[in-house]
Amino acid sequence: MEVKLEKRYPLDVDAARAWLVLRDVKAVAECMPGAAITEQVDATHFKGSVKVKVGPANAAFAGDIEVLGLDETTHTLQLLGKGADRGGSSASMNLAATVEPGDTAGTSVLVGVAEVVVNGKFAQFGGRLMVQVSDMLLAQFADNFRAAAAALPGPQVAVAPAAAESAPAAAAVKAAPPPAKVNEINGLAIMWTLIKGWFAGLFGKRA
Amino acid sequence: MNAPTDPKLLERSAALQGLGDSRLRKEDARFIQGKGNYVDDIKMPGMLHMDIVRSPLAHARIKRIDKSEALKIPGVIAVLTADDLKPLKLHWMPTLAGDVAAVLADEKVHFQMQEVAVVIAEDRYAAADGVEAVIVEYEELPVLIDPHKALLPDAPVLREDLAGKTEGAHGKRDHHNHIFTWDAGDKAAADAVFASAPVTLKEHIFYPRVHPCPLETCGCVASFDPVRGELVTYITSQAPHVVRTVVSLLSGLPESKIRIVSPDIGGGFGNKVGIYPGYVCAIVASIVLGKPVKWIEDRIENISSTAFARDYHMDGEIAATADGKILGLRVNVLADHGAFDACADPTKYPAGMFHICSGSYDIPAAYCSVKGVYTNKAPGGVAYRCSFRVTEAVYVIERLVDILAQKLGMDKAEIRAKNFIRKEQFPYTSAFGFEYDSGDYQTALDKVLHACDYKGLRAEQAQKRADPAAKTLMGIGLATFTEVVGAGPSKMCDILGVGMFDSCEIRIHPTGSAIARMGTITQGQGHQTTYAQIIATELGIPSEVIQVEEGDTSTAPYGLGTYGSRSTPVAGAAIALAARKIHAKARKIAAHLLEVGENDLDWEIDRFKVKGDDAKFKTMKDISWAAYNQPPPGLEPGLEAVHYYDPPNFTFPFGIYLCVVDIDRGTGETKVRRFYALDDCGTRINPMIIEGQIHGGLTEGYAVAMGQQMPFDAQGNLLGNTLMDYFLPTFVETPHWETDHTVTPSPHHPIGAKGVAESPHVGSIPTFTSAVVDAFAHLGVKHMVMPHSAYRVWQQLKASGVAL
Repeated sequence: MEVKLEKRYPLDVDAARAWLVLRDVKAVAECMPGAAITEQVDATHFKGSVKVKVGPANAAFAGDIEVLGLDETTHTLQLLGKGADRGGSSASMNLAATVEPGDTAGTSVLVGVAEVVVNGKFAQFGGRLMVQVSDMLLAQFADNFRAAAAALPGPQVAVAPAAAESAPAAAAVKAAPPPAKVNEINGLAIMWTLIKGWFAGLFGKRA
Repeated sequence: MNAPTDPKLLERSAALQGLGDSRLRKEDARFIQGKGNYVDDIKMPGMLHMDIVRSPLAHARIKRIDKSEALKIPGVIAVLTADDLKPLKLHWMPTLAGDVAAVLADEKVHFQMQEVAVVIAEDRYAAADGVEAVIVEYEELPVLIDPHKALLPDAPVLREDLAGKTEGAHGKRDHHNHIFTWDAGDKAAADAVFASAPVTLKEHIFYPRVHPCPLETCGCVASFDPVRGELVTYITSQAPHVVRTVVSLLSGLPESKIRIVSPDIGGGFGNKVGIYPGYVCAIVASIVLGKPVKWIEDRIENISSTAFARDYHMDGEIAATADGKILGLRVNVLADHGAFDACADPTKYPAGMFHICSGSYDIPAAYCSVKGVYTNKAPGGVAYRCSFRVTEAVYVIERLVDILAQKLGMDKAEIRAKNFIRKEQFPYTSAFGFEYDSGDYQTALDKVLHACDYKGLRAEQAQKRADPAAKTLMGIGLATFTEVVGAGPSKMCDILGVGMFDSCEIRIHPTGSAIARMGTITQGQGHQTTYAQIIATELGIPSEVIQVEEGDTSTAPYGLGTYGSRSTPVAGAAIALAARKIHAKARKIAAHLLEVGENDLDWEIDRFKVKGDDAKFKTMKDISWAAYNQPPPGLEPGLEAVHYYDPPNFTFPFGIYLCVVDIDRGTGETKVRRFYALDDCGTRINPMIIEGQIHGGLTEGYAVAMGQQMPFDAQGNLLGNTLMDYFLPTFVETPHWETDHTVTPSPHHPIGAKGVAESPHVGSIPTFTSAVVDAFAHLGVKHMVMPHSAYRVWQQLKASGVAL
């Protein structure tokens, strides 16, 4: 099952700080509910895991992440993630994420374009919820991402991106972990969002 | 046999509960008390459990399989992969269709949920844990799901094991994904008719992939005794003797050391004809470990990997005169067989009996061809509650006749009546070469149209159509189908070289009770009840004291099993003829006891009596006793017989079905207002069981027409392999059924019976489509693709501009 996602999340954080988070794969992973980087193989290769729980169904994907590109001028991160779960599912994601400047100086927009392919039980059980679940997942991600960026020192003290062989940036991220990070995708919360969305759709249609 | 009128004779006849008696099913006493004995009920000392590692991907190369973690789990005894089966040459196995199928994936997986490894453990839980711990690394390959793309020059190569093989089991292969091309009829004659006919039409009719989905999934308990060298396997099989032969051929064990037992079976519908990797692995594991091994599929495994049905993409063409007389028929089929050709058909017929597609109609010229291709889907292609591919054939012709009627502005009952094979034309040889045994279609059609007030229904429909405010669309469906069942004459039909006869052995005990053993196996058909009734009428022994045993290859005579409605046409004939052998011997004994000549005796219900002297007689009970203590000089003692029946022809049951639906213009939901099913299965053995069979078949037909499907996404994920998605109607959804019958016996069958259980499935599916499409016919809609779920029908309502 293949899903193409294109998302824009406006952030009340300036583009420079948002990019500092985005260019750090570990920090990005931290923002993803249930995800973690478990090992850094080299500069562009990582091993990671994602845990998803929907009702009684658990999946723990373990796999490889490769940073395909990190463009400092366009503020774009490109990565490829591939993983498998022992229960008989596999997934891959080809992601291009960009930080665009916002309408005003202190804001920015996180733009993500992803192709997600899911195979096996996860596609079979979760196929029809893929888009909704992804939406919710990404909304949580965007919240965490915003919080992580906002926790960085303000623009006046930010390390200039150009100066980065970016130990300071990474350190900064580590020093200020995102508050209230959701550690696991929560089945009940997903259900609730779906039900809310469904009712909203019903009333929206009538209006 | 002449029906008696004397009340005393009637009483004696009724006491036998023979042919035509609605005696209650003997099987039900144990089933309703939970005392059935299914494969999963079988527990043996020291029994191990097996579970299967399956591929999450539809097409991939296996880079590595790591068992080490699984073997560390407490209770896990062994993990087997293709590499372990290779030394035994069991990593691939032959299929019924002349292809080979992987037992465990050998270097490549070809479909999602394919068997990759098996874990054998001390209990079921440890086996499941072991499955999760087996690490398999895959390299993904391009996936082929659309059969229309299978034969493109650059289509992915699925079967690397067949590289360079240009000759298949059914002739030339002209592409790496091509399995066979089979045809029937006279192409030149059909083409000539089409070139000159006043009216021709063509329609693409797709019959989606569905699954028989019996309540009990597949499974087995294999038990090899290393000391005696004997293998006993309890198995969910519709053909235990064939399994024994195949197991012997694969394992090298002599057939005499193999005992295959089909115990109670919870529905088969074609799903339990094939030999599956799970069976083979459990048997191998038992032989290797010297302990019993049980394997039981779960529901997801059942729907995903064992025996789908249909998946026929049919291009149908019909040629006719302007007033609706059909002149010619052409059907070209693209058949999606999945990854391995494992169709269950008589060996010479890779598309089964698809050439019954000229239906109930007298069509002078006809031709059909079927092209089988490989795709990355599970293998199968079984006859889901039908004789081989008959459902597809009936669907295509009934749809085409409907569309022709619509094109010509004729009524769909009228066009059928105009093209029926007439009563006096039987036995009738079709353009495809089948010899239809008997039929009276017009009488049956008139009966149905009258019973349903067809004219009244059409008037009501016209009124509804004229009313723009009507909340529903009304549709009237009609199908007038003919089946070909009872495979079959061994000159035409065999499975792996074994002729498709069937068998019966009857033993009459000294005190006059009897046991009959059969080569078939009931899966809900009620054989224990109905077979006894045949013997009761033939031999005058009450059904109540006749035991019927099936399914144990150590006791039953060799038979080809139960599928394709063959039990009554083939095994039912074997019973009657075995009984007649006993009857002939009984006459000799009676003559001896009564001291008269054999010709001086008359048979009357349950006794031989001396002609003209009612007081001088010997009942079957008397004769049975005498057979064991004072047989006539020169005659051996005992009273038993075996008969192997090789049918001279198939039987051709038929039916006329009418359905009225009301479609909600707001939701697209289709409500079946009325369903009237008239079946003619020849002589009726047990009317109550027939009615039950028809209810079951109609319900499964409703399931297929209205909801069952196996959708795949582009990556080959099967999106619909749980009962959350796969439609299995319950009492809530099932419509009310009305049944009726006519009786046109088969002239070549010893008791005139034709078989019935599959007719309602075969006949109802086109009836439902006919009804749903009819609701839209006035809007110019000719055909709609199954299943007619509310969503799809709603889409048609939108497209036709009539949604509320």
